[in-house]
Amino acid sequence: MASMEKRLQKELLALTKDPPVGVKVNTDAITKNLAEWTVDLEGAPGTVFEGENFQLQFKFGSRYPFDSPQVMFIGPNIPLHPHVYSNGHICLSILTDDWSPALSVQSVCLSVVSMLSSCKEKKRPPDNALYVKTCSKNPKKTRWWYHDDSV
Amino acid sequence: MAEGALNYDPSKNYDDQTCAQQRDIEKAIADEQPLVSDILSFDELKTEYQDDEIFKLKIDDLKGRYKHMRKTRGDGNCFFRAFGFAYLEQLLNNNTDFPRFKEIASKSKDELVALGFPQFTIEDFHETFMEVIEKVEKKCTNEEFYQLYTDQGISDYFVVYLRLIVSGHLQKEEDFFIHFVEGGRTVKEFCNQEVEPMHKESDHIHITALTAALGVNIRVEYMDRGDTPKCNQHDFPDGSRPSVYLLYRPSHYDILYP
Repeated sequence: MASMEKRLQKELLALTKDPPVGVKVNTDAITKNLAEWTVDLEGAPGTVFEGENFQLQFKFGSRYPFDSPQVMFIGPNIPLHPHVYSNGHICLSILTDDWSPALSVQSVCLSVVSMLSSCKEKKRPPDNALYVKTCSKNPKKTRWWYHDDSV
Repeated sequence: MAEGALNYDPSKNYDDQTCAQQRDIEKAIADEQPLVSDILSFDELKTEYQDDEIFKLKIDDLKGRYKHMRKTRGDGNCFFRAFGFAYLEQLLNNNTDFPRFKEIASKSKDELVALGFPQFTIEDFHETFMEVIEKVEKKCTNEEFYQLYTDQGISDYFVVYLRLIVSGHLQKEEDFFIHFVEGGRTVKEFCNQEVEPMHKESDHIHITALTAALGVNIRVEYMDRGDTPKCNQHDFPDGSRPSVYLLYRPSHYDILYP
């Protein structure tokens, strides 16, 4: 749909021109397929993830920005975090229930960075083993139960 | 089947089914209910309440005071959708309030940006919002307006922007509205969770903020289970002369025509 492409073009331009600290988009790969982005994230200095690099994958449906993007960690390094499952799925309310069309790739990246930065102890969610065994491939198809905003 | 349904198997994924069911329900609502209906008589409304004496009495009460109504789709956006339609349709027929409203609408984008909303996402919604308003300014026909406003893409952009205006106003007047936010949340958290996302239902606090932000007064007729034969009215703000009239039935808003 045209409005989805127009919106993503705008976002890409803004994010390439003025990226937030620790966030880098791979522009060349994206211009080939606008519906799928990979974004590099750096663990923020002074946090338990300092010096680590992560990759976030975004997939956009034709109803974006009305439908939220599908967002998960991919690649060799999945952050060891109480809200991040070992298959890369993230439990973060703005990715489903609290998504708003006024949010953007940039605001999602900032929320993920902030979620990582407030982590005190590196560990997986308590239900990790069961979840990764039974969950859908698409994290948006999980009915998340949000709790504990402090980490 | 019934027996099997009671056996919870922790190694199975039930979320897919639940999500699929949720999507089916949403699709059924979208297929059956237009975003904004044609003009309907109160007798048509009554057919929904054949065996409900209290609601039939309340519909008679409305019938004595209003000419007819329009229904809006029950998708959680009904308050915003109904308000936008009712107010713009009115401006189309009588434009005395138009210059005042247009000025507020034009300026609203810069105010939202000043409050910290990102310019490039706000811009898109504001553009469409102003396009709809300018169509009304140029005196399109009522039919053209109906077509425009019931185009899902345009209508949803319009609703998003009204939601942002409410969010902006709540955050600007945070010191006042914090007293009405439940669940120990900040005003910003409330806006992020209950105002800005689509499909989140509206309450008094949303109506109060929209009324104040746009300077458009609203009367809501409450048709509820209470056993009085009349609907209760509430004017936003209190004691004002309303220009938009809405009907509230539990969890839903429609448009009324006095």
